[in-house]
Amino acid sequence: MTQMDSVTAVLIDGPLLTLEELAGACGMRVQWVVQKVQDELLGATAGEPMSWRFGSAELTRCRRLAGIEQMFEVNQEAAAFMVDLIEEVAQLRRQLRLAQAGGPHGAAA
Amino acid sequence: MDFKDYYKVLGLAQTAAPDEVKKAYRKLARKFHPDVSKEADAATRMQDINEAYAVLSDAEKRAAYDELSRQPRDRGQFEAPRDWDGRFSDHSGDPAGASDFFANLFGQAGHAKRSPAFKMRGQDHHAGIEIELADAYHGAQRALSVQVQQIGADGHVSATQRTLDVHIPKGVKEGQQLRLATLGGAGIGGAPSGDLYLEIHFKPNAQYRTDGRDVYQQIPVAPWEAAVGASIEVPTPAGRVQVSVPAGSQTGRKLRLKGRGIPAHPPGDLYLVLEVVLPPATTERHKELYATMAREMAFDPREKMGA
Repeated sequence: MTQMDSVTAVLIDGPLLTLEELAGACGMRVQWVVQKVQDELLGATAGEPMSWRFGSAELTRCRRLAGIEQMFEVNQEAAAFMVDLIEEVAQLRRQLRLAQAGGPHGAAA
Repeated sequence: MDFKDYYKVLGLAQTAAPDEVKKAYRKLARKFHPDVSKEADAATRMQDINEAYAVLSDAEKRAAYDELSRQPRDRGQFEAPRDWDGRFSDHSGDPAGASDFFANLFGQAGHAKRSPAFKMRGQDHHAGIEIELADAYHGAQRALSVQVQQIGADGHVSATQRTLDVHIPKGVKEGQQLRLATLGGAGIGGAPSGDLYLEIHFKPNAQYRTDGRDVYQQIPVAPWEAAVGASIEVPTPAGRVQVSVPAGSQTGRKLRLKGRGIPAHPPGDLYLVLEVVLPPATTERHKELYATMAREMAFDPREKMGA
């Protein structure tokens, strides 16, 4: 049976997700996320853990960290190193596309 | 539901040792990891691979799966045995967004069968959504088909196909996440459903590139417009604009239109990147005009090369 529902999506623009929501979205425990922030592998707003808020970028990074730790059974530092490289590659690919379009790293004005 | 051949997914024989299962999984994870794979269906393949590994790497689940796989099936269709009790208690490795097959046999729903008092919020699910750049400027409605799982009191998982009319707010940028509340996995024992997160990607477009909320648009201009300057009308994602091309412009010159990038507080900027396009010399008259230029302009584009 097919239903048609109208749904409004909430844009995760800026720090919006709580610690618990971020952990849930990554399928991990809250303490796992706390450890990542305390070890500076993941950014968060200032303050106590329960007042931390996270945005889209942290959600994407956190999911990558969780995926790599579980997939390859590596420690969190190795996972963070791989995620740093993935982010670097993504950034370079964006710069390449922009350069091809004459963006900020392309032809001079 | 369809029976899923997890051994085939991992490219293994049923006799594969645990080490071989792990080795095959890691090899495929490297190949199909959506962040690095160039395969078009990488995300779907990775989902299947994770699901297969969650079962075959767990001795208890694997033994139960092997037992199930020996049961006769009607043209591939498969029904869980009536006495299947969902005996598995460790769900730490359950992949998010798993298939009905997995959810019915090995997922958290199994808990509901064992303990009616068990409550657990549903898993959050994740997917990507491709939109046009214009959607980021104006907002958009998108029809999205999702499979929503429900877990009955007996722990059985049923799925309903729902078509959602999703409102995408204006101002979104590449890589941002949208949250659709309660459209993830079903909760157990009356607990709420999880959420569905959609990661925004812009459809590839030869005209536009984005950098955060800044937008870069290629604008073809005629040589005389670039050489002596001109006022040109340009269709942009922000609407038609009249732009002054400064005299002496070359290909690659950027004209910044402040605040005409993706709308937000503050909005991004729109950069028009000029591209000088030569008119083809298809008639005698055209060739004559080029010859006149060559004669009268004494222009050597390779002067700096010492030619």
